Amino acid sequence: MSEVKGAYNVCIIGGGITGTALAYSLCNLGETSVAVFEKSYLSSGSTGRCGGGIRQQWSTKNNVRLAMRSVELFEHFKEDVGTDIEYYQGGYLMLSYDEEEAKQFEKNVEIQREEGLDVEILTPKQVSERYPYINTEDLVLATFCQKDGHANPHKAVIGYAQAARRMGARIYTHTEVLGIDVQNGKVVGVDTNQGYFKCDAVVNASGPWSKQVSQLVGVDLPTESYRHQIFVTEPLENFFPMMAISFAGNFYMRQAQHGQFIMGQGDKDEKPGINYNVTFKFEKELTVKMVKLFPFLRNLRIMRHWSGMYNMSPDAQPIIGQSNIVNNYFYAVGYSGHGFMVAPAVTEALAELIVLGKTTHTDISYLNVDRFANAEVEKEKNVV
Amino acid sequence: MGRLVEHPILDVKSSTSKTHVVFYFEGQPICALPSDTIASALIANGIDIFGFTEHNHARGFFCAIGKCSSCLVEVDGIPNVRSCITPVRDGINVRRQEGRGKPKW
Repeated sequence: MSEVKGAYNVCIIGGGITGTALAYSLCNLGETSVAVFEKSYLSSGSTGRCGGGIRQQWSTKNNVRLAMRSVELFEHFKEDVGTDIEYYQGGYLMLSYDEEEAKQFEKNVEIQREEGLDVEILTPKQVSERYPYINTEDLVLATFCQKDGHANPHKAVIGYAQAARRMGARIYTHTEVLGIDVQNGKVVGVDTNQGYFKCDAVVNASGPWSKQVSQLVGVDLPTESYRHQIFVTEPLENFFPMMAISFAGNFYMRQAQHGQFIMGQGDKDEKPGINYNVTFKFEKELTVKMVKLFPFLRNLRIMRHWSGMYNMSPDAQPIIGQSNIVNNYFYAVGYSGHGFMVAPAVTEALAELIVLGKTTHTDISYLNVDRFANAEVEKEKNVV
Repeated sequence: MGRLVEHPILDVKSSTSKTHVVFYFEGQPICALPSDTIASALIANGIDIFGFTEHNHARGFFCAIGKCSSCLVEVDGIPNVRSCITPVRDGINVRRQEGRGKPKW
């Protein structure tokens, strides 16, 4: 065991959106003895590599509720947290190119409307009237929610980190957790490359490394990390307010505040494992597809191309909760590509669970890892 | 600013073509050599403001190798064209770009 460098009530592993937002949420509840350990720099993992979309159009009641609470918190981010994160409610346009998927979309909209979300169903004609710059060939149906939107993930992490620091939390960057000290079935400390820290609780918010970090306490989490790629074009004038996304079409695209278009797609052949390389195959497939659907992209050049990890769970929904194997070991992992958008609500609930022992704003019990013990798992269908 | 008439290393005289290409800048005809880029033709014709930033600062020729995006112009309605590495063609319409490019669909 290395030298004891400090003691905190809560040690959070991971300086992405979950780690920093949780530190902020804990401080908000009066728990200011909090440390965040990030092995690289803040938002260096999946958060800083993500598309930055924030949507509420999900296929299950619980996910819609969680996302709606998140949007409430994003709407007040500037006043509450104190940073402008380029949050913009330009809407999410979900495009369906598949009859069966379109039927599913209509069912989803029913669920979303029951929860009080204002969602429109648009015909291809309505889409091309509203958005003349979208090629609606082969489009079956689209849904649109104006309250969805996007934000700058880097600014959100920095905003949360600064607010948490102001309230007393400590953030250790370039500090890698090497071991978690478990004695008598209870977490008592974390060992890092900067020394040993005593603690009463540990939170695994390590995104792509969730499985390996969990193995440090001897708890298996059913997560796997998969590479996803994104590229960004040179800027144009802002005219494209929403995130356009399609599951059957396999893409998403938005225009950032500075005018660049950020877009990505999934790859079914991707093997699990951490891999930050990029491929020409991705660039070729996505450019060919997107120029056809969005003809104004034809004359734009790609500026940068990068990759990040989706930490996938078996049902494509996050795994959030408290371990019943090791006391005071919490986890907020397996976001399956939509961690940024739900982080405010998830961390609010998790902080309540840690400090008060129960959640008061949003129910997250359905995200507990125990759900995988049951044979039947309700899979979230709305994921790229 | 005009063109070099002599150079200690390069043979300027024999490389100067007798044929010309005409294109339009802000509607005005510009006479260029067939080997010119849009930027070199504009500079040779005394034009050094190629556009304006969104804060209305003048922009022009800077890196000359297609990297810096200082010389962006609109060519036949297509924005973000790097004039320093784009060869001139007969009859093209070049305009100053103001701010970020306007989308074309």
